[in-house]
Amino acid sequence: MHGFHGQLLHIDLTSGKSSWREIEESRLRAYLGGIGLGTSLLYEYAPPGVDPFAPENPLIFASAPLVGTGLTTTAKFAVVTKSPLTGFIADSLSSSHFALELKRIGVDALVITGKAAVPAYILINNDQVEIRNAEALRGKSPNETESTIRAELNLPALRVAAIGQAGENLVRFATISNEGRQAGRGGVGAVMGSKSLKAIALCGAREISVADPAAVDAIANRLRRQSLGSLTDKYRSIGTVANLAVFNRLGTLPTQNFQQSTFDDAEALSGESLTVNNFSRRHGCAACTIQCERLFKALNGEEQRLEYETLFALGPLCGINDPQVVLQAAQLCDLYGLDTISTGGTLSWAMECSEKGLLPEATELRFGAADALLAAIPLIAQRIGVGARLAEGSRRAALALGYGSDYWAMHVKGLELPGYEPRSLKTMALGLAVSPRGACHNRSGAYEADFSGEVDRLKSDSGRGAIVAASEDFAAVLDSMIVCKFLRKCFNDFYLEGAELVSKVTGWDCSSDELKRIGERIHNLKKLFNQREGWRAQDDWLPERLLQETLPTGVAQGVGLSPDELRGMIASYYQARGWDENGLISAKKLEELGLPDA
Amino acid sequence: MGQPKALLPFAGEPLIVHLVRRLEQLFTDTVVVAAPEQELPALPSAIVRDDVAYQGPVGGIYYGLNAAREEICFVTSCDAPFLNPRLIAFLMAQITDYDVVVPFTDERYQPLHAVYRKSVAPLLKTQLERNELRPIFLYDKVRTRKISENEMLPLDPDGLSFLNMNSPEDYQAAQARWSAASIPVTVELFGVAQLLAKTKEVALTLAPDGTLAQVFQQLAELHPVLLGRVIDADGNHLVSGYACNLNGLAFVKDFRTQVQPGDKIFILSADAGG
Repeated sequence: MHGFHGQLLHIDLTSGKSSWREIEESRLRAYLGGIGLGTSLLYEYAPPGVDPFAPENPLIFASAPLVGTGLTTTAKFAVVTKSPLTGFIADSLSSSHFALELKRIGVDALVITGKAAVPAYILINNDQVEIRNAEALRGKSPNETESTIRAELNLPALRVAAIGQAGENLVRFATISNEGRQAGRGGVGAVMGSKSLKAIALCGAREISVADPAAVDAIANRLRRQSLGSLTDKYRSIGTVANLAVFNRLGTLPTQNFQQSTFDDAEALSGESLTVNNFSRRHGCAACTIQCERLFKALNGEEQRLEYETLFALGPLCGINDPQVVLQAAQLCDLYGLDTISTGGTLSWAMECSEKGLLPEATELRFGAADALLAAIPLIAQRIGVGARLAEGSRRAALALGYGSDYWAMHVKGLELPGYEPRSLKTMALGLAVSPRGACHNRSGAYEADFSGEVDRLKSDSGRGAIVAASEDFAAVLDSMIVCKFLRKCFNDFYLEGAELVSKVTGWDCSSDELKRIGERIHNLKKLFNQREGWRAQDDWLPERLLQETLPTGVAQGVGLSPDELRGMIASYYQARGWDENGLISAKKLEELGLPDA
Repeated sequence: MGQPKALLPFAGEPLIVHLVRRLEQLFTDTVVVAAPEQELPALPSAIVRDDVAYQGPVGGIYYGLNAAREEICFVTSCDAPFLNPRLIAFLMAQITDYDVVVPFTDERYQPLHAVYRKSVAPLLKTQLERNELRPIFLYDKVRTRKISENEMLPLDPDGLSFLNMNSPEDYQAAQARWSAASIPVTVELFGVAQLLAKTKEVALTLAPDGTLAQVFQQLAELHPVLLGRVIDADGNHLVSGYACNLNGLAFVKDFRTQVQPGDKIFILSADAGG
């Protein structure tokens, strides 16, 4: 077998036992790796209806066929589990050297179940698996955890993924961190914390073979050249923070908990201003030529990584206009291991509650109140005071508070919305509503149609369903091969070239049609998992604010999104997917895709 | 006029430059026919000189067609500052079954605002040899499509395409008309474009029927640093990876799109991911 090792490692923290198991080639061909393989294993290992914090909920780290081949942007891995935030699938991606090391330990996936009796970390050194005491790591940040473990073990090639205090304290939007990068969304860090697992340290020496090294090299060289051209100029020159000023001007920048789609002080937070005034260093993942990461100078003298989603969520969404405050808030989130989008989304909900007089324990939380924002983040991570309420995420916090505050809890399926205003991006609105992992901008790129002129972004129509479905399938393939989405435009015909790439790496004769079908299968399996876990049609919906209020400012002033418009787009989506009118996967579709019977 | 018409300042540049720039919106090749000793500014065109001076329009058309690389050519004089790309495109489209497409206005042909097949060049040479210096002799010999005023009305309601400048008064009137009809627009630069140009906004004044291509051309002249990185080397397009949005609403890919007074033209990354 090429491109894969053909086995997984299952570690049960309750018993302390580990075992290797073959992964059938047919499964790898059906789901590739990454999110696809992780979803397939989740469906198998998670008992139906399992509590996300129960020991039986598997935490799966999945590698992919392109990892370790030298192809640019492919040093990535997936973390898949049942989300404590949504109750549905959580599928996160992270990247860099930990991804390469995961492949080097000789497995395609790591499945962790059970719960350690005392705080623990896992050391995997090639074939040796050791569960070690992590008592001394308790309370440490992911970075401190990594450096402590490295100092303790003295293995030069060691790579570590860890949780911070937020994960230890089961904050439902805690991340898993490695090398400053995050498996960020859906609370995968909290699931790790529920297993009393502080970190995973990897050290391996297994090389991966590819079927046709010369052909893979040729493709790698071509993609490397393409990745240095104008198609990635934004990412290489400014990074994703470039979105903020554009989104503001286009009326798509969520501001003050989605009360507006423009921010008066956007100029101060723009990627252009940050680049001129605060830029420190450009960085990137291992084996990546794009190097989109931007580190900015914070007032405390440290460098802080910032990307658009963090900038939007801790800036305009909370009414914060000082880039230094955003940098400080991002530092805190990284220190404690918190998803910045859900942190900003939950805090902006709390700010609105507080302004309405509904949150007496945190009256200082107001839009634009920098000190209150910075003070609240550690409270969330440690579940202290109002932090205990907010650590549950906006959906649960709103249900617990009452007073109709769920009206302004801006989430889908419990996952807080990313920085794309749905009312002025109608295709994206549909993408957010139907995404299996909740309000997510990464498991489909539905906004791309809105930003390309392919559709009228301010209006809805029955063509959006097919656009969103195609975008989801495309993302599923990218996330399972794995190729970074920032490389996506460097392919002339992605499915054709992607199939060739898979073929040259694995030795399979993979066609573009097969690759498309794989994407569709993966997406349907995510949905099937959600159906098994209790998905109902009302879960595919948007927060009521978006359906009741029109946008008050900017070029999209007066634009809204009616329930009927959303309903119509959702119907077109179910139709495009070949599901029934209630959004359930039909038996025919299951059979067609070779999926288990629902 | 006090100086050669081709060099008269118009819209901030020599008239011939102004004309060639407008023709470049429609044509990949331009040919300028000049008298043997005529002074010309730098032009992106092929330059040909009359073998024999003062042979009138027939001479100019002949030498131009002879030097042209394309089979179908639009011919104009150098003193028609209000060339209308839409009308010219219409005239070009009529040539299918003809050798000449020529407007007929004010009871006369407009041979210097017409479309010719290169294949008529030998007939023009014969005319020159016979000293038949009026183009109309050609129209009787070949398949000629006469375009009426009514056909042109929707495209050029004021007939500005045929406005020539034959006196200082004509020249002044044309300048005044140009100023009044010009289109002010604002370009807003985002991301890489803003950092390169070191400015967020650029105010431009476009020709009365200005297009996005003109926007990009003017922008590139003001900020040459954008050429090759954001604006394609030809000055007409944005490079792959960049997009144009009109007034924050419509993403526009066709660089021939006409702009309107007061338009705000955003130049931004085509990739909204992140």
